[in-house]
Amino acid sequence: MATVTQRRTIRADGPDKVTGTGRYAADLTLTGMLHAKLRYAGVPHGRITRLDTTRARALPGVFAVLTQADVPDVRYGPYVKDRLLFARDIVRYEGEIVAAVAALTPEIAQEAAEAIELEIEPLPAVNDVEAALADDAPLVHDDWADYEVEEGVERSRNVAAFSAIERGDVEAGMASADEIVRTRYVADASHAVPIEPRAIVAQWEGEKLTVWSSTQVPFDTRSGVAETLELPESRVRIIVPHLGGGFGGKCGFHQEAHIAALARAARRPVRLVFSRREEFIVPDRRREEMVIELETGIRRDGTIVARRGRVIVDNGAYTADAAFFPQLAAMHVAGPYRIPHLRIDAQLVYTHRQPSGSVRAPTAPQACWALEQHIDEVARRIGMDGLELRRRNVLEQGDDGPSGQTFDEIGMRECLDRAADMAGYDQELPDDEAIGVAVGWWPSFPGASGAYVKLNADGSGVIVTGAQECGTGAVMALRQLAADELGMQPEDFTLVYQDTDAGPYDTGATGSQTTLNNGRAVVLAAGQVAEQLRELTAEELEADAADIELVEGHARVVGSPSRQVAIADLAGIAQGGELLLGRGSGAPPGAPALRGSTCIGDLGMAAFTAPQFSSHAVRIRLDRDTGVVRVLAVAAAHDSGTILNPVGAEGQVEGGVLMGIGQALTEGTRYDEDGRQRNAMLLEYKLQTIMDAPPIRIAWVESPAPDGGPRGAKGLAEAPNVTTAAAIGNAIAKLIGRHVTQLPMTAERVWEASR
Amino acid sequence: MTTFTSARTLDEALRAVGDGARPVAGGSDLVVGARQGKAPLPPALVGLERLEELAAIEPDGDGLRIGALARHADLEAHPLIAARFSALADGSALVGSPSTRNVGTLGGNVMNASPAMDTGAPLVVLEAEVELRAAGASRRLAVEELWTGPGRTAAEPGELCVAVHVPAPPAGSGSAYVRLEYRRAMEIAVVGAAARVELAGDGTIAACRIALAAVAPTIIRAPGAEQAIVGSLPAPQALAAVAAAASEASRPLSDLRGSEAYRRHTIGVVARRAVEIAARRAGGESVPIPANRARGIGVPFGGAA
Repeated sequence: MATVTQRRTIRADGPDKVTGTGRYAADLTLTGMLHAKLRYAGVPHGRITRLDTTRARALPGVFAVLTQADVPDVRYGPYVKDRLLFARDIVRYEGEIVAAVAALTPEIAQEAAEAIELEIEPLPAVNDVEAALADDAPLVHDDWADYEVEEGVERSRNVAAFSAIERGDVEAGMASADEIVRTRYVADASHAVPIEPRAIVAQWEGEKLTVWSSTQVPFDTRSGVAETLELPESRVRIIVPHLGGGFGGKCGFHQEAHIAALARAARRPVRLVFSRREEFIVPDRRREEMVIELETGIRRDGTIVARRGRVIVDNGAYTADAAFFPQLAAMHVAGPYRIPHLRIDAQLVYTHRQPSGSVRAPTAPQACWALEQHIDEVARRIGMDGLELRRRNVLEQGDDGPSGQTFDEIGMRECLDRAADMAGYDQELPDDEAIGVAVGWWPSFPGASGAYVKLNADGSGVIVTGAQECGTGAVMALRQLAADELGMQPEDFTLVYQDTDAGPYDTGATGSQTTLNNGRAVVLAAGQVAEQLRELTAEELEADAADIELVEGHARVVGSPSRQVAIADLAGIAQGGELLLGRGSGAPPGAPALRGSTCIGDLGMAAFTAPQFSSHAVRIRLDRDTGVVRVLAVAAAHDSGTILNPVGAEGQVEGGVLMGIGQALTEGTRYDEDGRQRNAMLLEYKLQTIMDAPPIRIAWVESPAPDGGPRGAKGLAEAPNVTTAAAIGNAIAKLIGRHVTQLPMTAERVWEASR
Repeated sequence: MTTFTSARTLDEALRAVGDGARPVAGGSDLVVGARQGKAPLPPALVGLERLEELAAIEPDGDGLRIGALARHADLEAHPLIAARFSALADGSALVGSPSTRNVGTLGGNVMNASPAMDTGAPLVVLEAEVELRAAGASRRLAVEELWTGPGRTAAEPGELCVAVHVPAPPAGSGSAYVRLEYRRAMEIAVVGAAARVELAGDGTIAACRIALAAVAPTIIRAPGAEQAIVGSLPAPQALAAVAAAASEASRPLSDLRGSEAYRRHTIGVVARRAVEIAARRAGGESVPIPANRARGIGVPFGGAA
């Protein structure tokens, strides 16, 4: 039946975005609207000794100035409730919000924000994840033990979350090895950098609040506003206009409650639009700094027998969704390999820096970069090529993974082979060029999701979904799924989405989950409409409903195509009686079983539902005189199950690869001695440009997942961002004879390493 | 509050500048700087965008008179500049992005006086002069004497840069500008170097001018590096001496783009490359504009470099 699914389809929101007619949150203007500015701590750690808003309030044109004294005393956070809307007494990072202003113009609001009298007595800052672990390190949260915590989060002092995975007997495993290779890698923090800095507009109509926000997770945002302002969720509506990218940076609940509180106090709608600098410094979504120590026991025949690992992840000042990062990082330094004996310990550590949070495949690019360079080092130790070592050790069907999950049909090995083939791995290259290869994996995330499908009297359809489009095209592809169920075309459907009052609950554009979960919901909802159409047709044509098929806009009797009725005619008939209306949700797939392993601090990240696999092979050229690396070409092989829309899928890989090149070579956040960001601007935080984009060849290894989404589809949005940096690292090492141990591998670091 | 006047004639513009208004053409430094909070907009601006006579690129004897409003895109695409004043085309082609090059002007770039500017080192090796005009007065000043520090020039209050004069290059000469960059668009020079090389009949270098960008408070000449190559063939040993002397001449800072040590090393690399490419061009070889892209990315798998 897959007639339009799996076909190359242009996304519905494309023309709006390309022609500039699309509207984003910052484009909204409401009658009487005010402008918000926030006042930030400006120092990484300190005690507020004076906070006086009198002067700011007195400025002409200022309608409201708020601090924590003006909002409910509610601590929030998805795993650890460790923060307030506004800092009270102690500030813990430079971008922490201390006060908010609403005024007639952005300029007046800025003047008022600066007129707030704020004095902060500086306190020593914890800027180093390893120093934060010392017994005598200052505590980032003195009252950490009193915070409310989700079940499963293991914590102690500056350790916000701890996780360990143990399998077999790592001591015995190491003892049976011929060689043991040890490595230490450090990854700097980086940023999501969506092109649209976030924007929020809040408006009250009586007791009802509407917030337009550039969020990836409208329902989470609704919960956050309701929780922190102590409102029932039914009085809060979150609408997302077109979202100008997110990459995880707009997951979580951010400044919506601050702006809603301002709008209530000012009795006017209020808009906040972030500057690029604010987008870098304020959100609790930074790609985490990591320290990774790995030890692998290897036999001379190329069998990996044991792995020990220690990972320290920088949490920053507050715990956003990073609580699950230790377990996820542990899985990624184990990797998609057969390892009989392993022990990985991972800690999430508070520092006085911007909070870390999910940026596209959190922890994976850094962990994969460290692991895959380590694998090449292991291979070199026993005189084997890294590709060959991987071929002997990557997971194949029937294997047990590092956390004891038994894998079904998977395409890991085929991904590796195809990436190497496409890259011409064995070819002779000029002496300043090399090809590096790496493998990676990433789970799909099951979750609740729902959709309605309805047909209009003219036979056109509407999909009402709770899903959020963040640019991946996943919501856009829902039209294909509905069309297939109903024998219609994708263009026959419009989408109502990104509105919490319209669509059913959804976890949002996070965890590559939309196709997996909402795809299933849409298929179910459209299936109900299809059933209604069959019954209606059966009455019209005096046939058995079971014999009716929906094809090319018509319902017809199987085997006698002349007996048919147009779906548009059926929809017209339905308008006079029972409406064509379907709903779908359905239970998400359960987590795979884990056997023979122990997981401490288990937050569900050790069992990979509908697991995705990938291998990238990257050809680079090194300018040996300067350390500048150019990526000449990338071969990317992906097992993300069945591909539903090749156009969208290719876009995900191309974007993931480019983001991966940036993370590999140029994107890293720099701090001064106090812990302030030094390059919170696009001139000095160097994204890759389209001019830097190499040719990217893609191979789809379609191993359908029984626990996946429609037709065995898995997620895809994050996986392409996992392996690129690792492959580049291995290529660099081939040219300079040693591995660059800090990410990003900037030209200067490559030059230093090669001297 | 900022007032903005759009000048209809050069005289109007000069009067406004004389009254203290800041001239604005493409605005690619002024507006971006203001939005980034680097420098607030001045109280009075005078727009030059309608003064088409300042946009002309015209022969001046065997040299060129380039109007201050000539845009980087114009310079990059100008066949005469590519052929005879190649270093300037190299530098112009590297500025920002196509949209930056379509608004940014040579006059703006020169008067902004950034030590990292991409047209500065080329203009120094090409012996360019700026034409500064005030109400009732005009003078010409060598670009080397124009820049007095980062963002500072020797222009007097009331003076407007109306043109850049580039004399005819010596026969048998070629020039090039090479910069160190971490990405291929929207980049600013980590370090940059321009060279103009004049070949003698036997292929040795008869004369050489080398200028360095982003390694001192202004664009600087590197006389030691120039002397290191004169009389020699552009061969490895002499080029290594150029690199060493350029590094020696540099006084770089450590910042986000590079440490002092890295800049000191890489300025030698780009100076050596600029001399080498300038010599090839002087010998009649065609090296594409910009020289930085001579060895590009995008080699398909299995293809030759």
